[in-house]
Amino acid sequence: MRQLTLKPVTSRPPAVIAGLTLLAILGFIGVTRLVNRFGEQQKALARHLYERAVAEQQAGKPDLAVEHFRDALVYSPDNFEYQLQLARALRDTGRTEEAEAYLVSLWERAPQDGAVNLALGRLAARQKSLDRALQYYHNAIYGVWSSNPDEHRFQAWFELIDFLLRQNARPQAQAELITLAAELPPQPDLWLRVADLFASIPDYDRALAEYRQVLKIQHGNPKALAGGGEAAFNLGQFRLAEHYLQEAAAANTQDAKVARLLEVSRLVLTRDPFRGDISMEERNQRLKSIFGDAGERLESCMASQSGRPPNAPSATSALAPLKTQWDEMKRKLGRLRSSREAGLPDEVMDLVLKVEQQTQSCPPSATDQALLLLAQNRGREP
Amino acid sequence: MSQLTNAPPLPEPTASGAVVKVPRFAGTFREERFFLVLAVFIGIFSGLAVVCFRLFIEWTGMGLLGPAPEAHNLRVLLVPALIGLLVSALVIHVFPQVRGSGVNQTKSALYIFNGYIPFRTAIGKFITAALAIGGGHSLGPEDPSLQIGAGLASALGRRMNFSREKLRLFAPIGAAAGLAAAFNAPISAVLFVIEEVIGRWSVGVMGPVVLSAISSVVVIRWFLGAQPLFRIPPVTIARPTELIAYGILGIVGGFAAIVFAKAICFLRPRLRALPKWTQYVQSSLAGLCIGLIGYLGAPQVMGAGYEYMDQAMHDQFTWKVLAILAGLKIIATTLSFATGTPGGMFAPALFVGAMLGGAVGGVERIFYPHLTGTTGTYALVGMGVLFAGFLRAPLTSVFMVLEVSGNYSIIVPVILANSVAYVISRSLQPTPIFDLLTRQDGLDLPSLEEQREENILRVEDAMRPPPTPVLDSQETVGEANQSIQQSPATVFLVRLSPSGWTSLNSGLLKRLASEGKSEMTLGSALPTERLPYLHPDLPLEMALRYVYQTPLVPVVSRADFRKLEGVVSSDDVLNKYRVVPREESGMG
Repeated sequence: MRQLTLKPVTSRPPAVIAGLTLLAILGFIGVTRLVNRFGEQQKALARHLYERAVAEQQAGKPDLAVEHFRDALVYSPDNFEYQLQLARALRDTGRTEEAEAYLVSLWERAPQDGAVNLALGRLAARQKSLDRALQYYHNAIYGVWSSNPDEHRFQAWFELIDFLLRQNARPQAQAELITLAAELPPQPDLWLRVADLFASIPDYDRALAEYRQVLKIQHGNPKALAGGGEAAFNLGQFRLAEHYLQEAAAANTQDAKVARLLEVSRLVLTRDPFRGDISMEERNQRLKSIFGDAGERLESCMASQSGRPPNAPSATSALAPLKTQWDEMKRKLGRLRSSREAGLPDEVMDLVLKVEQQTQSCPPSATDQALLLLAQNRGREP
Repeated sequence: MSQLTNAPPLPEPTASGAVVKVPRFAGTFREERFFLVLAVFIGIFSGLAVVCFRLFIEWTGMGLLGPAPEAHNLRVLLVPALIGLLVSALVIHVFPQVRGSGVNQTKSALYIFNGYIPFRTAIGKFITAALAIGGGHSLGPEDPSLQIGAGLASALGRRMNFSREKLRLFAPIGAAAGLAAAFNAPISAVLFVIEEVIGRWSVGVMGPVVLSAISSVVVIRWFLGAQPLFRIPPVTIARPTELIAYGILGIVGGFAAIVFAKAICFLRPRLRALPKWTQYVQSSLAGLCIGLIGYLGAPQVMGAGYEYMDQAMHDQFTWKVLAILAGLKIIATTLSFATGTPGGMFAPALFVGAMLGGAVGGVERIFYPHLTGTTGTYALVGMGVLFAGFLRAPLTSVFMVLEVSGNYSIIVPVILANSVAYVISRSLQPTPIFDLLTRQDGLDLPSLEEQREENILRVEDAMRPPPTPVLDSQETVGEANQSIQQSPATVFLVRLSPSGWTSLNSGLLKRLASEGKSEMTLGSALPTERLPYLHPDLPLEMALRYVYQTPLVPVVSRADFRKLEGVVSSDDVLNKYRVVPREESGMG
């Protein structure tokens, strides 16, 4: 091949540098155009592959989705959205380490991004890493969201609380809930969710307060009524519980739990021997009735236990001394009217408490639940 | 040594052989500085060229094979063969110097053609390599990028009328820029050019090479982004015993590198020895074989394969598939390269390494499930292993892995596995692949690996004790005459004040005495000319420059120039060279 003969262009370097600079600028302009054109082509191709991947993900084919997300990223390697979706798809297919690698790389590029932090938080939650999950979820809660920031923020917060509850980290969950409750906008569905979460901790005081907030806006909200009724019931506020549960039962007659709680609440209210507004005679009558029910409970439970196989652990033998105590107490019961026996009602209720506690292995009826509550909460204003 | 550095610059011959004056650049623009500025421009132009090269490969690939080549597609079967025909015709009739990878051609340009690479070669490499890689041949774009950069730099240097010494350096500067842009990895590029192209560590060339590599990387990142080529999770080694797993990978990789290198070195000369007309169809037949591999189910082996390396790192293939892909890639690359299809071996070596690494890691984790390394970790280490074992660039291989992953945590496994592979490869095949290829082409170029083996002779090997007495310039001529009476020597060294050395012979001393200068000190009676001196650790060839100027050259301590360690004469030096066997002296 003939060698190209090139003559020296100049011995003046500034002129050479100026010429080379001009050439470089022209080169940059030309290459920029080429790269832009190439980029547009790549983007279109990547978008097409990405849409296929999303469709596959929605069709419940995460493995295929991963493949097409990867193809999309071949043509658009820096696309944040594609990388995030690939990381999510990888996480969904259980490839947590790879997902983490992608997410960490995205996080390094945009540490304030809410979506990336939420994805990392979910990953940490999946790996049951409490500290990292808290860190990333908090970043997501206080991070930047491109659209619907409040919705995403509260979603992240609820996810974090759910995770903490699953990890049995109740103090942390309670702390998060208290902060969240203070930040919530006036939306009954969010309050209701917070109230349910307070109830699951359990923090019935705050749960009841949240249910009441809901009911102030939506008077007949059946979920709030049922939740409020249950919270009041657990707080021993049976009159309030009866009120809410009655309305909840009317709104939803199929709810067995509400019906049961209502029944128990009513029994507690109607059979409480220590209410201040009843006569001594009435009190004694109620005590005898309660005592009689406890005796029946004891006998029926002993009878059901005696039918068990002989090698099964016998509760009957444990209940036998209780039966003896019950028989002895029955003999004392006639002295209820006597002023010398001022402690007898409490002795009766102590025995009722013992009976109900020790017969927990036999399915309790509503009456038994009521008796147990009466014996535990004696003297408290319902 | 001052005598050396104080010498005025001599007119130097240009590349054409004529002696001309070095251009006198005005003001601050002296040749050295201008050279550095040009290195930046070389980096910029090489970066721009490599961006275009990559776009051209992508467009060619998408146009010829489609956006995602799939098995059982006739395009996949036929395109590599047809492209092989076209590329062969171009290589034979239009661009005869673009065969192969481009690394050796650049090295030849540096050592044989005074840095001259025809601009046409750069253009030809751009077109033919892009067609071959885009058309599915199992080759990579890095080595051609290196040659394209070197070609551009060479063309620019020739227009500037630099001295021959500088002109030679343009090619490696451009090579570093091209490779840095291709890999988006400046350190690896600089190291590779030093290890494989220049073949020796030279401080003079480091500055421009680094500048050009960095400027080309800035350009490539400007256009194509700064993301690392591969992403893997941070590597944590739970127990030091886990390193054994990487050592095993080094062993397997070392043997695979040998198989790969031997296959190429076996097939290449045999194909070249076939009748000339077969060169029209060799590349096409290689393309047909590669197309068949792709058609039957492994399109991953076609082209450079970076996207599949990434997929391998992310557990997309089972270890069996990875092992098969590694084997098929060795076959495909051997065919493509041995037939002289333009394209590089870097990407295929990395591909084989990634697949092999993933496969070995997969097998190891079956037997030892507690190993913490991911497939990505093993694949990445595998890349370094093949690079070290196959291309025999140990330093480059370590930095390359760090730069393409942006992950420093992997360094310990990489160094371990690469060292193991390098040692195995060296012991089973003493000559590196690039040197073997140049020798197949009838050339013998210097290599850094050979230099490491050289037994360098030093001044201390030839020096002998100084003749006694050693005189002092404060002694009088009479005293000196008296003290040399008993000495059999005829030449004596004189220590000058405050430092420096000179010599005299007994005849001169007697003459000075007869001229009535017995009471004069030697310092005032002798001529003021000082002798050059040497240090014991200097290479012996340095002594050759002085031993013919003076009968004795003093060898002095570096800590105290007045302390005489010994002397060397021309006979001492020549005797030393005579007794050293040729192969030991590195001249074999």
